[in-house]
Amino acid sequence: MTEHDDFLARLRNDARPLRHQPDEATLARIHARIMEQIAPQPTLAELLAAWFRPLVATALAISLCAGIGVMTLRDDIAVVDSAIEISVEGDTYRVAD
Amino acid sequence: MADDDPNEARAIERVQAGDAAAYDYLVRKYLGRAVSIAYGVVRNAHDAEDLAQEAFVKAYRSIGRFRAGEPFGPWIFRIVTNSALDVLKHRTKFRHEELADTAPAARRDDAELPARSSEIARRIDAALESLPEMQRLVARLHLIEEFEHSEIAAMTGLSDGTVRSHLSLARKKLKETLADLYD
Repeated sequence: MTEHDDFLARLRNDARPLRHQPDEATLARIHARIMEQIAPQPTLAELLAAWFRPLVATALAISLCAGIGVMTLRDDIAVVDSAIEISVEGDTYRVAD
Repeated sequence: MADDDPNEARAIERVQAGDAAAYDYLVRKYLGRAVSIAYGVVRNAHDAEDLAQEAFVKAYRSIGRFRAGEPFGPWIFRIVTNSALDVLKHRTKFRHEELADTAPAARRDDAELPARSSEIARRIDAALESLPEMQRLVARLHLIEEFEHSEIAAMTGLSDGTVRSHLSLARKKLKETLADLYD
């Protein structure tokens, strides 16, 4: 090793504390920000689907409730329709099934 | 080299195929060094972290142009070095325009030196800072980051001869400045 190289080698050795070494928490934070930035962005179709999905679910729930309501009402009407009327001495009595 | 690390080569292939999660391996492997290199140029921890982050995002977006089989390290280090030099140029211009802000900024940068720096290291740091920009960059990459001439040439886009020339001039000046320490 030449005198010149020896000088650089000594400088390298003494300059070692000058190397900036970020701590683990800092590296983890930067790492997370990078991965977040490069994460695949949703397509327009996916965005629209994400937006419409709760609307469709709500509409379905309302339809289901309405359907059940109508069916229950029809049963009540059917009960009324199938009632038997009995008249005794001018008084009318209704008898359901 | 990517050839020496099959995991690195595989990660690059997967990223190029659209698997963003595979980039995790490359970030983990090179992030610390990238932050350190950026810090050596801009001398500010927050700026260095932001620069390293931007460099990795930029590299990811250009990964399609990356040649398979090449080592990823010099490429990401080159991106971060160039970005850091751009920041430095912008900052130098800004400081020339607003001299009043120079002193607090310099004090802040000095305060961010690693706490364990010895007095000798501080002297070396001051001597490095007194060098012209490219000599300082080459000397820092060689002395502190411990890169060889060819690696510095790949990172900076300079020829090997120019790197050697910068380092030779820097070495001469450092020897004069630090004569009392190394005679």
